[in-house]
Amino acid sequence: MERAVVTATAERSAASGAAPAGRPSGPGAGRGRRMRRAAQPYLHLAPALAAVLLTTVYPLVSALVTSFRHWRLNESTAPGGFVGFEQYQRAFQDDTFFNSVMVTLWFTFVSVVLSVGIGLAIALILNRRGPLNGLTKALLILPFAVAPALKGFSWRFMMNPDHGVYDKMIDSVLPFAADVNWLGEPFWAQMVLVLTEVWGWAPLIALMLLGGLASVPPEVNEAARVDGATAWQRFRHVTFPLLRPLLLIVIFLKAVFSLKLFDQVVTITGGGPGRATETLNFYAYTQGFTFLDIGYASAVSWILVVVLGVIAAGYLVAMNRQEAK
Amino acid sequence: MTTRATGGAMTARRALGSGLHLVAVLAILFFVLFPIAWLAITAFRPAAEAFSTSPVFAPTLENFRAIIGGQNDLTAAAVNSVVVGTATTLISLPMALLAAYAFSRHRFPGHKSMLLAMVATQFIPGVAIALPFLTLFHDLGLLDTRASLVIVNLSLVVPYITWLLKGFVDGLPIEIEEAARLDGCGQITLLWRVVTPLAAPGLFVCAVFSFLLSWNEFLFPTFLAKEEATTLPVGLMTLVRPEGVAWGQMAAAGLLVMVPMLVMSMFVRKHFAQGMTMGAIK
Repeated sequence: MERAVVTATAERSAASGAAPAGRPSGPGAGRGRRMRRAAQPYLHLAPALAAVLLTTVYPLVSALVTSFRHWRLNESTAPGGFVGFEQYQRAFQDDTFFNSVMVTLWFTFVSVVLSVGIGLAIALILNRRGPLNGLTKALLILPFAVAPALKGFSWRFMMNPDHGVYDKMIDSVLPFAADVNWLGEPFWAQMVLVLTEVWGWAPLIALMLLGGLASVPPEVNEAARVDGATAWQRFRHVTFPLLRPLLLIVIFLKAVFSLKLFDQVVTITGGGPGRATETLNFYAYTQGFTFLDIGYASAVSWILVVVLGVIAAGYLVAMNRQEAK
Repeated sequence: MTTRATGGAMTARRALGSGLHLVAVLAILFFVLFPIAWLAITAFRPAAEAFSTSPVFAPTLENFRAIIGGQNDLTAAAVNSVVVGTATTLISLPMALLAAYAFSRHRFPGHKSMLLAMVATQFIPGVAIALPFLTLFHDLGLLDTRASLVIVNLSLVVPYITWLLKGFVDGLPIEIEEAARLDGCGQITLLWRVVTPLAAPGLFVCAVFSFLLSWNEFLFPTFLAKEEATTLPVGLMTLVRPEGVAWGQMAAAGLLVMVPMLVMSMFVRKHFAQGMTMGAIK
């Protein structure tokens, strides 16, 4: 599945987190005991930190070093000499790399807009009272629990241009789309990828936003209604401002995961047609795994690390600023 | 809008409104469930009719037979998935509980930055992690073993469930711990006898997540364990062959991948949405 989901607001919960432990400092709490107590949190953290150091920091540093070395597995199993920024330069001069950057950005933009837009619509619809609402809310988690690779296969199956069930449905509603080969045309192949992402994410986003909507006090809305505000005005001036911080988080989360898209590319399009669906993560994968150019692939994956890092940092700054307001 | 509609017009409008609302809800249900339902139907359809859209067919187990002990046996991959998921969960839970406890109950130098660093690891693309491990595991002779997958999966699971568990521990009443400590309870006894039982529901949620993350993971096994230690999601790829995709078997295998996760995720649904957006709303 996609990398674990974590919001960047942990920082907030750290800032406003739980009170420090009550420390029974009986008489005779000597220096030794104080030191032991000071060391305690670090002892508790040690296993988890060791795991993170081994499985995240080590590979990151290692990839950084490798990105400055010439290393093709088909030539040698040992890393070659240092080549400086050569492989980074190569990436920036490479049209296929540039293509994957554009594909990734375009894909991220469209899938964020659609996932969040549709997710918000679902949340607003389900936030009203009505039959089947409870059941539908309970089922919103399901698409996200489906493995992304499997998501990819099932959508590829259903969008099959000859017999896929979705293709048939689309053909019967929009006869002029009957000849569209969904995975054979660059634009539509991208849109199928977007669609699988929207299917997985929009319901989950709706679930998160429903949590936010539940915290909007009904009296506020009621008061606005009594004052004669239309549904749109109430949404625009009451609900939306209250949802805004949550929406920011959701947009950011979705963007990070879209930028890392990999599983569905492999299972749906294999990067094609041509290079129309070659995302950055997939590009790095093919360079490393298919062409065995570990050095270059490391450089590309580090570019992705930097891009994601900049976005994450920008997001944190924006959140802090909003908090300060 | 202060126009006062007459009573009749009001009810008509309200009826229309709730009618439209019901249609919208049904559309959402269709959107969410149809792909899952279609996969389930396809799994029981005779392979020759995989692409049929007719609702009438004679259900068969032939697809399941093909992937369980049949010509495209995926049981080894299923066993790998279960073993890797279970081992990842059992290893990461105690680590996460200790770390979450420290983050929740203690203030110490580096507290905030370490917590942030844990969160930050989730923004790192999988390729950047998998590539170095490819060569490391090659050198260690660990390539294509379950152990290698468990090790790499820790990079996904440990930070995430640490952070999730911290939220749970934050919510536990500290008075019980203080009382236990006054009674002379040592740190280890306290964690094992007091905190663990109190945090049990949280631990359960985290166990589900860590299993789900390992179970659905695709990039790592693609890189590091394509043959012997391959897991179910990657095993699905073996059904894609030059002569075509075995869609019926794919659907059957997909159902086996999906169902345990769907059931488990229903149990932790609430915590999931909360966990992802915690702190967003005060």
